[in-house]
Amino acid sequence: MDSGSAIVMPGERITSIEEVAKEKRVILGPGLRRLDDTVVASKAGPLRHKEPNTFWIDNYQRRYVPARGDLVLGIIKGKAGDLYRVDIGSADIASIPYLAFEAATKKNRPDLNPGDIIYARVLNASADIEPELVCVNSNGKRGKLGLLADGFFFKCTLNLGRLLLRENCPALAALTRELAYEIAIGVNGRIWVKANSLRETMALSNAILTLEQAGYTEIDKICDSLSDVLQA
Amino acid sequence: MPSKIKPRLSRGVLDMKFMQRTKVKVDKEDDDEQSRALYSNEINAKMLNSNSNFIIEPSYTICAGLIDGRLSFRGMNPELELLMEQELAQKLAKVKPEQPKEVSDQDMAKAYYTNKAPSVANNMSKKFSTKNDLKRKQGQKQQKPQFKRPRDEDDD
Repeated sequence: MDSGSAIVMPGERITSIEEVAKEKRVILGPGLRRLDDTVVASKAGPLRHKEPNTFWIDNYQRRYVPARGDLVLGIIKGKAGDLYRVDIGSADIASIPYLAFEAATKKNRPDLNPGDIIYARVLNASADIEPELVCVNSNGKRGKLGLLADGFFFKCTLNLGRLLLRENCPALAALTRELAYEIAIGVNGRIWVKANSLRETMALSNAILTLEQAGYTEIDKICDSLSDVLQA
Repeated sequence: MPSKIKPRLSRGVLDMKFMQRTKVKVDKEDDDEQSRALYSNEINAKMLNSNSNFIIEPSYTICAGLIDGRLSFRGMNPELELLMEQELAQKLAKVKPEQPKEVSDQDMAKAYYTNKAPSVANNMSKKFSTKNDLKRKQGQKQQKPQFKRPRDEDDD
């Protein structure tokens, strides 16, 4: 997945991408900017590349920048007319209309109170307007979205969230070997976990937080010792 | 302007019931033209003619191909695990290459024609059969054993 992980700095011109762009289309992810025909980094971190033509910078960050289509964890902050205000860790507070829940009507509002945690999809993300969330898919079905009851909620870096959400991430599989659990990971660096007992839930959250500083390469090693963390 | 050259339909005609689709089309053309006129001094040649090889994608989820973060393991949330399973099955169905064939094409063709051949042969033979053949066939049919009434003795 990550063939090249050279560290780049903001303002640095990245000629390797320009070379690729001469032949085919290139997708520039977060942290990369195009100035006419040159590509410049706008964040500091390892440059990631996914075949065939996607590039982005995996910088260390705790502040979430909303992007359309992201799945995030939000905390209900309050009601405002026909919207709920939701904190998703972005600069601006997000909103979710109460009709954006499964089987919700004007009469039948979803029962959400300040402090509740929801798992939602970012529908609209623009620098000029507040982000808008939804808790249903295009068919009006809930799917995996919605209210997260019970469990334990904690914040982490955006990198940790992304680390866990990679396909075939060994960490979640390693934890599954130890105990049964349910998890919701938002790309906004928020995680909600639930296991059979409070003790197990806490152990799980501690185990996940030990991965905070792990790189892609050393994660396998850490996963082997995760069971020790869980026992402690 | 092309619109001035082009003959235009009058409003009276467009309001007729059968002209509704044309009306929508004409309206859209008008709108497009207006907006083009509105922004024509803002758009420069570079904007129109540049074909950039760069696509900007602001989401990490799409760039890195991240999975959905709502997961359940070992029966913690059966409803969710069912959804996960369905998704996995869908994904596999998409990725899965052609399934190995249990019956080879040749065998299939052979079986197909042996099954189908009698009916085809029948159809063709019907075409060449004469009236005599038909009568003979009907005659054969009449010889079919018919229902025999039970003997009266059985009633007692």
